[in-house]
Amino acid sequence: MLENYFPVLLFICVGLAVGVVPMVLGKLAAPNRPDDAKLSPYECGFEAFEDARMKFDVRYYLVAILFILFDLEIAFLFPWAVVLKEIGMFGFVSMMIFLAILVVGFVYEWMKGALEWE
Amino acid sequence: MIETLQNLLGVAWTPLWTLVKIVLIVAPLMVGVAYLTYVERKVIGYMQVRIGPNRVGYYGLLQPLADGMKLFFKEIIIPAGSNKFLFVLAPVLCLMPALAAWAVVPFNAELVLANVNAGLLYILAMTSLGVYGVILAGWASNSKYAFLGSLRSAAQIVSYEIAMGFALVCVLMASGSLNLGDIVNGQKGAGLLSWYIIPLFPMFLVYLISGVAETNRAPFDLAEGESEIVAGFHVEYSGMAFALFFLGEYANMILIAFLTAIMFMGGWLSPVTFLPDSIVWLLAKASFVLFLFLWFRATFPRYRYDQLMRLGWKVFIPISLIWVVVVGLWMQTPLWLW
Amino acid sequence: MNVESLVFYVFAALMIFAGLRVITARNPVHSAMFLVLAFCSASGIWMLLEAEFLSITLVLVYVGAVMVLFLFVVMMLDINLDQLREGFWRWFPFGAALALVMVGEMVYVLGNRKTAATEGLVRHAADYSNIKELGRLIYTDYVYPFEIAAVVLLVAMVAAIALTLRRRIGVKSQNPGKQVLVKKADRLRIVPVAAEKSGSDRAA
Repeated sequence: MLENYFPVLLFICVGLAVGVVPMVLGKLAAPNRPDDAKLSPYECGFEAFEDARMKFDVRYYLVAILFILFDLEIAFLFPWAVVLKEIGMFGFVSMMIFLAILVVGFVYEWMKGALEWE
Repeated sequence: MIETLQNLLGVAWTPLWTLVKIVLIVAPLMVGVAYLTYVERKVIGYMQVRIGPNRVGYYGLLQPLADGMKLFFKEIIIPAGSNKFLFVLAPVLCLMPALAAWAVVPFNAELVLANVNAGLLYILAMTSLGVYGVILAGWASNSKYAFLGSLRSAAQIVSYEIAMGFALVCVLMASGSLNLGDIVNGQKGAGLLSWYIIPLFPMFLVYLISGVAETNRAPFDLAEGESEIVAGFHVEYSGMAFALFFLGEYANMILIAFLTAIMFMGGWLSPVTFLPDSIVWLLAKASFVLFLFLWFRATFPRYRYDQLMRLGWKVFIPISLIWVVVVGLWMQTPLWLW
Repeated sequence: MNVESLVFYVFAALMIFAGLRVITARNPVHSAMFLVLAFCSASGIWMLLEAEFLSITLVLVYVGAVMVLFLFVVMMLDINLDQLREGFWRWFPFGAALALVMVGEMVYVLGNRKTAATEGLVRHAADYSNIKELGRLIYTDYVYPFEIAAVVLLVAMVAAIALTLRRRIGVKSQNPGKQVLVKKADRLRIVPVAAEKSGSDRAA
């Protein structure tokens, strides 16, 4: 089994290299003449005020949390989907109960307006 | 000849041969990315009654090379207030998963680099890494536009990933395997009628549209939003650093197109039984999906952010949940023919 | 040394380095990124144990989802580093004690003949899929814990909403459903207006 994953590991390394090498080459080949105006963050013609890293709407956190929960749900669905033909009706019903419980949560979200983007 | 080389190199043979195969995947992919930008400009040009690039080489065919050369010799500006390490890391993290996912993509029945059992799971994991490049680029640049763009983009990508995951679950249910080669072989039989696009048509749409949203393409390109946040998360990038984001985006597009072809449209299988199966079919199907990507961009106006989130959470997730149940029930009956 | 142990040592070294950097890095975003690296190396080590489903799910769920939330939180909070460092020496004995207990537990588990995996790992054929094995067990033999997992997720969902949801007042929003269902008759009224003068009069 591991011999199948060896090319994958190698491919990830190549992927990193394909990212790093052009950056290094670009750095070497391209000119480097920095000045104050060039290095200042882009803004509409005036000096940047305040820190760009501001606090943002709590909604983004909520999206991230809900994403984790649904991602876990998908992680549970994967092995189920693969063996569905073998585990038959019993396996199907057990997943339906699982989904039903989570749909309660989804409906709660919806009714509470957590999916509303204002 | 291969055997003499094998004897000559001994232990180093396997890694070297694998490396050659990887290059044989990555190099055409990079050429494909370059020419996809050309095709995009041509197609959208003609759709808008313009002719697109036509100066560099015949019909502008050398345009992508010229663009590449230009980007190569441009200064890589690292803004003063930025976090240098993360600023440089972000484009690499954007490109790496878009390439690494190709390790498990099969091109025909025999032609696959890593024939792993968990192929589809691996691809889902790799595509979920793409969000790091975006978040880090936005935060490390220390620019308000970049930051806003990356926030929007990150929330958008994670939202549509869920719908995408559910669509993949439906494909898995139909095929009973995570191996991409097995998924294609499961669609063998009566030509076009055996493809999963028939029983899973709503999931095909969900996957395709989520794919457009995942790659931040129009009409879901709020992360870039030229007219409001100028270019979004990569506004501060220049030269090769910017080129890497570009490469990542287009490599992801091609990946999504290939996956759509493999999972829903029978991969390298022929749509009619009297023609042989061949890699040409896969390329044709993927090209068709890519053409759709370009067509969408030329046709649809940009979504508003609340509409975008509504589509992901309130339309796609319920549809895909329902379809998981429908397919599950369907499979319990003898009416399931796939 | 074969390739496998080489890869193991590389991953293990990476993981230890990343783990150390998580707690020593000054910038919290760097810490979070090193945690990502630690998860990735852990995933590699699990893959060496042939736990392919767990290994890839670790990347999918922890790196792809949990760490994204971490990054969101870490990036946006104005964390005052000096304030964080203030309590270090005060809490040091407590942390050290906790670390000792954990090391003790690990020594106990790994050193004990009954609990330690003394026999070598059983290597499986290339077509062995532990996802199928897991699937066959989770949804049949272990169906009860599986449903409890659903309840835990439900509680998490409700808690997340209860903690973070703030309604803004005076928000105007559209209802796309309503917008789509609008008929021409609801919006547009064609009023027949009699022409006052004929065209030829005006021309004159």
